[in-house]
Order: sequence, then structure tokens, then C-alpha cells
Amino acid sequence: MILEARDIRKLYGAYVALDGVSLSIQEGEFVSIIGPNGAGKSTLINVLTGVLQPSAGSVRFKGKDIGGIGTVALTRLGMARSFQLVQIFPELTVLETLQAAVVSRLGRGARIFASLAGDGQVQADALDVAGLFNLSDKAHALARELPQGDKKLLDVASAFALRPEIILLDEPTSGVSTADKHAIMEILVGAAKRIGLRAIIQVEHDMDIVFGYSDRIIALHQGKVLADATPAEIEADARVVDMVVGRRRR
Amino acid sequence: MRTPVVLALVGIALVALPLLAPAYHVTLMLPFMAYGVVLLGLNLLFGYTGLVSFGHALFIGIGAYTGAVLTTRLGVRHMEAILPAAALAAAVVAAPVGALCVRYVKIYFGMLTLAFGMVFYTFLLKFYKLTGGDEGMRMLRPYLLGSEWKGFSKTAYLIGPYYYFSLAVLVLATLLMWRVVRSPFGLCLKTIRDNPLKAESLGVSVPRYRWYAFMISAVYAAVGGALLATPTGNVDPTLAYWTHSGNIVFMVLLGGFSSFFGPLVGAFAFIFLQDTVMSVFPYWRLIFGAVLAFIVIFAPGGLMGLFARRRRPIEVSRA
Amino acid sequence: MTANLVNVLMGGVFHAAILFLVAAGLQVVFGVQKIFNLACGSFYALGAYAGVSAVGYFTSRGGSPALFILPLALGGLAVGLVGVVVERGLLRFVYDRDETFQLLLTFALVLMLEDLIRMTWGTAPVSTGGLYLSYGHARILGATVPVYNLIVIGASLAIALGIGWLLSRTVFGRIIRAAADNREMAEALGVDMRWVYVRVFTLGTMLGTLGGALVIPATAAMSEMGIELIVEAFAVVVIGGLGSMRGAFVGALVVGILRSLAISIYPELEMLLIYLIVIAVLIWRPRGLFGTAAA
Repeated sequence: MILEARDIRKLYGAYVALDGVSLSIQEGEFVSIIGPNGAGKSTLINVLTGVLQPSAGSVRFKGKDIGGIGTVALTRLGMARSFQLVQIFPELTVLETLQAAVVSRLGRGARIFASLAGDGQVQADALDVAGLFNLSDKAHALARELPQGDKKLLDVASAFALRPEIILLDEPTSGVSTADKHAIMEILVGAAKRIGLRAIIQVEHDMDIVFGYSDRIIALHQGKVLADATPAEIEADARVVDMVVGRRRR
Repeated sequence: MRTPVVLALVGIALVALPLLAPAYHVTLMLPFMAYGVVLLGLNLLFGYTGLVSFGHALFIGIGAYTGAVLTTRLGVRHMEAILPAAALAAAVVAAPVGALCVRYVKIYFGMLTLAFGMVFYTFLLKFYKLTGGDEGMRMLRPYLLGSEWKGFSKTAYLIGPYYYFSLAVLVLATLLMWRVVRSPFGLCLKTIRDNPLKAESLGVSVPRYRWYAFMISAVYAAVGGALLATPTGNVDPTLAYWTHSGNIVFMVLLGGFSSFFGPLVGAFAFIFLQDTVMSVFPYWRLIFGAVLAFIVIFAPGGLMGLFARRRRPIEVSRA
Repeated sequence: MTANLVNVLMGGVFHAAILFLVAAGLQVVFGVQKIFNLACGSFYALGAYAGVSAVGYFTSRGGSPALFILPLALGGLAVGLVGVVVERGLLRFVYDRDETFQLLLTFALVLMLEDLIRMTWGTAPVSTGGLYLSYGHARILGATVPVYNLIVIGASLAIALGIGWLLSRTVFGRIIRAAADNREMAEALGVDMRWVYVRVFTLGTMLGTLGGALVIPATAAMSEMGIELIVEAFAVVVIGGLGSMRGAFVGALVVGILRSLAISIYPELEMLLIYLIVIAVLIWRPRGLFGTAAA
């Protein structure tokens, strides 16, 4: 069990965003979290990634309590995330973005007088990740000039460059055309295998993607876990289908 | 690449200048070189980390007054001791001030730095027994390479040994800053400038790196400040006034904050433009205000921005 | 002893009355246009010089010295109309830019106004001479306070109430508050922001120039007064809270009175105390007493 959330409650004043959410992520799993807007998904993500301290309950990553420790500390422990609204460094190239992640991973950020260009390991690692995400030929393109799909890939790729043990993807295919969605997911899954990711968690709205890739689906509704089961079981669960999934078209 | 050629030519011109140009212009190069050092540091904060300080003149003041105090009160005359002392004084002040200020961004950072700058100005002004008040203090001619250069008149000293000493300091400061911006640390600063949220998610501790950048830029400002004080031989509180801080930000913008050499170009352009304007028209602030307004509205990339255009402004690494 | 204290306090309140006018101008511009106008001190100086000229013109044309406050105030207000030129001619080009650039543009204004004032009025201080005392003195709790000061304090208070009324009871005031709260929404509701911006900025400018004009009899118009005042005005809005009118009022009182007290106890302390308070506020409560913006 890599990541475990036990009875998480989060209150904003009187508003209960999360009402006793428990979940656990095992080695090798690809878990999707689904639910309508307002179900508490964003809050849950922020609690799981140490950004928010839960009002009650605990989150444990590799057995360690990570409640509210913050993104920087969490990254050191081995968890990375990507963002719903794509986050890039506009003035940096693709390669520089990946180099930044590698530098951070290797703890070389405080090397004030060393040469970045001369750091063979950083260069090689960054190129490697670029290759995994089909961004090699765009290595020297400015991040802000990339098409939307590539920006999303870069956001995820830089998180992967941290070689985390577990990654949390917040709507990895949102804002991307349907044609590109599957391409992105294939790249993602391939890269995950290559760098030895132990588990992937994603928040997704697109049910084709959710059902196509997940080992397990957690359905959230009004701050509570409605269902936590395999795709087949979820499909058969009328409550979930009604409240979250919608009619599935074959 | 064209850049090494340009740099070589500029280098030759700088070295040959005292032998070719009239003394007046050579002495004008001295504040250019001093501000060049200051601005290299300021741009680390502005162009590379995205923080605009309206109180940076505080550190120029620290450097200048270190020079004055050491030469007149403590009998230390060697420039090779004064510059490191200025650097140390700046680092000591910048550590707590910076630690406080970097937790805030944008306008609040600007306001906090402005407040600290004015605190120092007020201290310099009011505690006249220590600092000489509004008349300031004198700074005696520092020894360069161990010698007082006794036989040299003031002008001969300034356009001779002092010119070359300043040039050496500027070159050293430039080389050092070049290494800093091309280092892994420099890359991290740029991530913080571009997207602090994303930078944190990659494990970059935003306040800590901003703090490092703040301290480095403070040290540069103080070294520049000590260099600035020597030609006039006098330091006074206006060195730390907020409009002085505004002027140096203007200089960076003028040269171009997205370019490594922008600050140097800006210092040069400002000093010589000011001299040219003042010789025909006493109201140089009016002209400069208009120039600043023009740059902000039409040419935010500054002079280097006009030249660079399609080319990528900041080179870091080419794999 | 009481007389001394009253003197100090009244001096502080007079200064606060002037500071409030300038700070109110700063606040209304920041609240609506989100621009921190470094040039507000420069407008203050402009108002001061213009006020002196207006009074000089008035008395030279045979105007009764007893009425000098009228040309003074009117001169101050009239010159504030340059706000229209500044807003339409310069500021409107940077509304969509990063706030750093907006700040730098206002700094450009500071530079230009400094020299424009020098060009027009020279560098020697100018004043209204003895007219300050032409309204005589009043005795309050044993202290002698110039009636002029009381008039200004009263006027400032009236303006404060007027602004309050404007913001809460008039259509324009409602539009200002809506635009300050959510510009896009206001635009979506059909408000022409250009119209709002030029009026708001000019209002801000006129408050500043009026403040400068009204302070003149008590001091003299000097070339540094603009760049010196901005730091005080800035202290007022930080303590009171950026964008808040109530903040301008309370902040002005705090700064004005504290400064007066500091000068009477330990002159070296003067502005130092104010700056330290500003730093303290920025650290522990960045949004000030009444502000809404988060750090």
C-alpha cells in the first residue's frame, strides 16, 4: 500500500468539502477518481498532495504522514503531480523545463557556479524524458509556442522527470481534442512503464479514457466515496451510473 | 556566433580608451562601470527571478558608506579590503531583509523593499554624528594593488590605475554572473520567474532561491556602490533614496532585462545620455521620464530587445 | 503641559487631513484601476505650486486677502484636471500590462513632473507668506491653534464624508465599487470602463492637488515635496489597507499623529518610526486595517 487516506474530512468554515473519504492505492495500480463538479475532487487532490492539511483523518505516503507538508517536501518523498490548467514555464524551452526537473531531483539547484550545459547527467536525463514523450524534435522550442496538446505533455513530462514513485494527474486530457486524447494516454502509460512508476492516480471526466485505462475507479459524490471498484463493477452499479457516469454508449 | 566578436571589440575599446579619449569621457566611464556591476546584480533579481525591488539603492548606500567609514574612520585604505568588506556588509543586511521580503511578491515586495530602503536613508540622514547627516562623509582615495599612487593627480589616478581597476572588477563581476545565470541555480531562478506554482511542484523551494538571488544582487550592489563613491570622494544619504532605486530599475529596463548584457548596455546608455542631455538642457529628468514612458509602452524589451527581436533573448544551454 | 499636547495633536491632525486627501486619491485609483500611482506625490506638489500662483494672481488683482483660501483651493482643484491628459495620454496604454510596468510608468511620471514643476516655477521655494495667519488663532485647551488649520481639517472631513456619500449613494459611486470589485463583470454589465477610468483617475489627481494646495500656507512649496510625500502616503495606504477609503482615513490619522508625536519627543525618530510600522504591518497583516487584497 503506497498511498493511504483514512477518513479524510475537510471543512471550509461550515461547508464540508470532504466527509470521511478513505482510499488506498496499491503497487502497480492505475486508479481514476471521478465525480461531478463540486464532489470534492480538487480538495481531495490537494489533500493527497500535501497542499491542504485535512481537518480530520490522515494521509500516509509510504507509511509517512504527509498532511499539509507542501509540494516541495512531497516531491522529495517521491510524489509528483500535474495540473488541470496546464502549467508551463513560458520563457523556457522544452529541454530547459525538463532539465529544471532533473536538477531539482538530483538536488543540484544550489550549484550557483557550476555549468548547466556541462552537466552531462542532467542533459542526458532530460533528453531521455523528452524522448519518452515524443518531444525530442521540439526540444528547443519555447514552451509558450507549443500547441496545447504538447503543453499538456510537457506538464506531465516534467513531473515524470522527477522519477516519482507515484504520480497524480489532474485531468491529463482536458482541453485536448478527442483525437489527441488517446495518443496522450498511450504516451503516458508507456513512459510510466519505462521510468518504473509504482502507481498512477488520475482525476478524469472523460469516461472513455477512464474506462479504457483504469484498474480501479473511485467515484466521489458530495464529499463522500460513492463507490470504489473495478470498471466492470462500476459500470454495473446503477447509482454511480446515474450520478456520475451517464449512460455508456458502446 | 557574433557575440564573441562584439565582446572582443568592446573589450579592446575599453582597454584602449584612456589612451585615446579625452579625460572627461574616461572619467564618465567610471560611474558606468560602477552601475554596470550594480545592474548585473539587480537584473538577477528582476530579469531572472521576476522580482522588482524599489529599495535596492539601500545596498548601494551600504557599499558606499563602507568605503567612507573604512577609509576615514578605520584607516583601511586598500580597495582589495574595502570591496570584500562592502560585500560582507551587504550580505549581513540582505540576509534578514531578504528573508522577510521574498515571502511577498509583486507590489508587496516592491513596497517592502521601498520601506527598507527609506529606513536606511532616514538612518543615514538623522544620525549625523555617526554618518555625517545630509552632508555625508568623505571617502579617501583607496590604495590600488597596495600603492597610494602618490605621484598621480586626482584625474591621473582616476583615468589611469582606478579606471583599469574598475574595469577588472567589472569584468570579474560579469564573468561570475555569467556562470551564475548559466548554472543549475540560474535555471531554477527562471522557473520561479515564469511560474512559481509549477516550480514548487518540481521541488524548487521558491522562497529559498529568491533569498539567494536577493543576497547575490545585494552584494553586487554594494561592490558597485563602493566603486561609485571613489571618484567623487563623497557619500551622502541620497544614494539610498527611493528615486535612486527607481533610476536603477529604469537603467535595467532601458538596456533590456531579458538579455544578459542588457543591464550593461542600460548603464552605458543612461550615463552617457544623461551627460549629453545635461550639457544642453538642465531638465534631464523630463527627457528621461519620457524615455522611460516610451520604453514601457512601446519597447518593454529595452535596447537589447530592439536588437535581439526574433532571436531567443536568454541563452542558457544548447544541448 | 496639556497645551503642548494639544498643539502636537492638532499639528498631527492637520497633517493627517492633508495626508488623507492625497491617500484618498491613491486609494480610489488603486481600488478601481489596480495601479499604485507613485506620482500622487508629484500631483500634490503640482497643486501646491499652482495654489501659490493662484493666490498670487488673486491678490495682485486686488483680491481681498481674507478670501485667499478660495483661489488656493480652486487653483489646486483646477490643476488636477491634468489627470485627464495623463490618463488618456499615458496610463491607458498599460492597463493590460504587468503591474511592474504600470508602476514604472508612474515613476516616469514622477520624473517628468519633477522637472516640469522646476521649469515652470524654478527651484526656489515659494509660499503664500503671511496669509496663513490672516484667519487668526483659536484657543483650545490652552493651546493656540491657527484657525486656518481648523478650516482645512473641517474641509478634509467634509470631503471624506462627501466621498463616502459618493461611493454609497450615487450611481457613479456604485459603478466605482463594482469596477473595483470585478472589472470584467462590470464591463459585461455594460459599463464603459474608459469613461470610468478617466473620471476615477482625475478624481484621484484632483484630491492630490487639492491636498497640496491646502498645505501650502502652513509650509512652503519646495521641489522635493512630491517625492518626499509619496513615502508618507504609501505608509498611510499600507497601514489603512490598499484600496480602502476608511483605511485612508484611519491610516492618515495614525501616520499624522504618530509623526507629530515622534517629532516632539525625539526628532531623529520621525519617519523612522513610521517606516518600522509599515514594515511591521506588511509582515503581520499585509492587507492593513481595512484592505481586501491578499499578499
